[in-house]
Amino acid sequence: MNAYMHHFAYDFKTGVRERGKLLMYYLFPLVFFILVGSLMTGVNPGFKQVLLPAMLLFGYMCPTLQLFPNMLVGSREEGVFRSYRINGVPAASIISIPVLSAGLHMVVLSVVISIAGVQIFGGAAPTNAGGFILAGLLSYLSYAGVGVLIGIASGSTTVATLVCQIIYIPSIILGGLMVPLSLMPPALQRVAALLPATHCMRLFAWLGTTGGTPAWGSLAALTAGIVVSFALAALLFEWDTRSSAPSRKAWLSLLAAAPFVVMAIGGL
Amino acid sequence: MSEDMVRVHKLRKCYGSTVAVKDVSFSVQKGEIFALLGPNGSGKTTTLESLEGIRHPDEGTLEVAGIDPVRQFRKLRDKIGVQLQTSALPAAMTVDEAMRFFGSYHGVAPRFDLIDRLGLSEKRRTQYGKLSVGLQRRLALAVAVSHDPAVVFLDEPTAGLDVQSRTDLHSLVHELREQGSTIILATHDMAEAEKLADRAAILLRGEIAAIGSPRQLTAAGDGRTRISISTEKGLLLAESRQFPDAAVQGRRDEYTLYLSDNPGRSVSAMLAWLEEAGDPLVDLRVERPSLEERFLEITATGSGRKS
Repeated sequence: MNAYMHHFAYDFKTGVRERGKLLMYYLFPLVFFILVGSLMTGVNPGFKQVLLPAMLLFGYMCPTLQLFPNMLVGSREEGVFRSYRINGVPAASIISIPVLSAGLHMVVLSVVISIAGVQIFGGAAPTNAGGFILAGLLSYLSYAGVGVLIGIASGSTTVATLVCQIIYIPSIILGGLMVPLSLMPPALQRVAALLPATHCMRLFAWLGTTGGTPAWGSLAALTAGIVVSFALAALLFEWDTRSSAPSRKAWLSLLAAAPFVVMAIGGL
Repeated sequence: MSEDMVRVHKLRKCYGSTVAVKDVSFSVQKGEIFALLGPNGSGKTTTLESLEGIRHPDEGTLEVAGIDPVRQFRKLRDKIGVQLQTSALPAAMTVDEAMRFFGSYHGVAPRFDLIDRLGLSEKRRTQYGKLSVGLQRRLALAVAVSHDPAVVFLDEPTAGLDVQSRTDLHSLVHELREQGSTIILATHDMAEAEKLADRAAILLRGEIAAIGSPRQLTAAGDGRTRISISTEKGLLLAESRQFPDAAVQGRRDEYTLYLSDNPGRSVSAMLAWLEEAGDPLVDLRVERPSLEERFLEITATGSGRKS
């Protein structure tokens, strides 16, 4: 087993051993899924159409926004990155391995939510499984890129937490998870276009359904967002807190929002 | 002819307007234990981190095991073992996992013998975050030397360790040297440096104030030997008696303290006088100046003669 695979296996294993990871990978998303699945499908039967994508997206946001940023900032502050550096662990591994190992946990979570959502809560099953999986993959990578970039660019856990909440809460409220985008006033729709969640939901609706309405703009925005956020994370990566200039980083990292700003200005 | 494993020539490193290291030059031979001593902020860690490739010097040239740490950092990593002053392993990583994890990145099989050697065998499944500070430092050391590096850098290796752990670590350092590793350690602990190091450099405000073997360093200072003498009747205390080549330094408890340029002659004269005066000897101690005293002398005066 080479070093990268060894590192990946270790990181994956910690996903069920560390309480914080276990909470964000499985417990929190599943408890929320059960609550929402029980309540919302009863109150609003139309919610069944978006139950699966909404709950999957919520599940992906938990580790990417609530775990990755503070994990990265904490590791840098505590000197874990320094230990990695002197022992030859490349920055590419530090960035990619948590994304991949959490991604594998998200596959497990997705299977559980998809089966239980349809069987228990009567959620609408995707009519195009391949497209649904692609939409899920892009959604996960999109939020993973955002979370990793916040962790790399933030100078402290306080800043990281604050920035994450600025994205996390509006994503749930305005991103189409709870309220369909079409029911929102036009001004709010423009604000919603700034959030990856909105485009993820549009992608699920398009790719996961046979004959769904094409959303090429959302596909382009999410793809560009993924590329830009991971590229910026690699560019701005610092091994050591002392050698960083957080303010410069913070400004540069805003470039990752550019594809979504374009969508907000151009309209969905 | 001995081989230089580490060469530092006119190293200079600034942080903003603060000069951390100024024109520092020294070399360390293969198999040597070299200590960097100095008060906080003297440039020890910056010098070490420059050699480890973590910091890029502003000026000067460095060579570690024939490798330029700045330009060939990747190549350097398998040649050096580093125990950093401020570093950590992931809190959830167990002792066994740490050996496997870092061994895999160095391309070597995990050295579980080091775990036993450093007294961690009972903690192999314990997570790093649940180890005591002393055990965490032992694990960091095991990780640092698990790939048999040619040069080992230890930054304050015994800080926070209990007496037994220090003794274990010292014997491991000697073993590493016997196996051919070159060791550079930065420490505040003068007794440790005196015990372990073949040579030492005392850094002061980013410059080398003195360099040489511990014996050379101590000899370059005041150099006089301290004689502490206690007798039954305490006549020496009462009379502040003078002896050849010895000056009374003071009194401590029941001892009279002398500083002597010629301890053999002074002690002979003291014993003869006590015999004649009928004051039996209780205790006699002859001590050469310690590295710590020399260090304090240099830091107090701000300079030292280079040996």
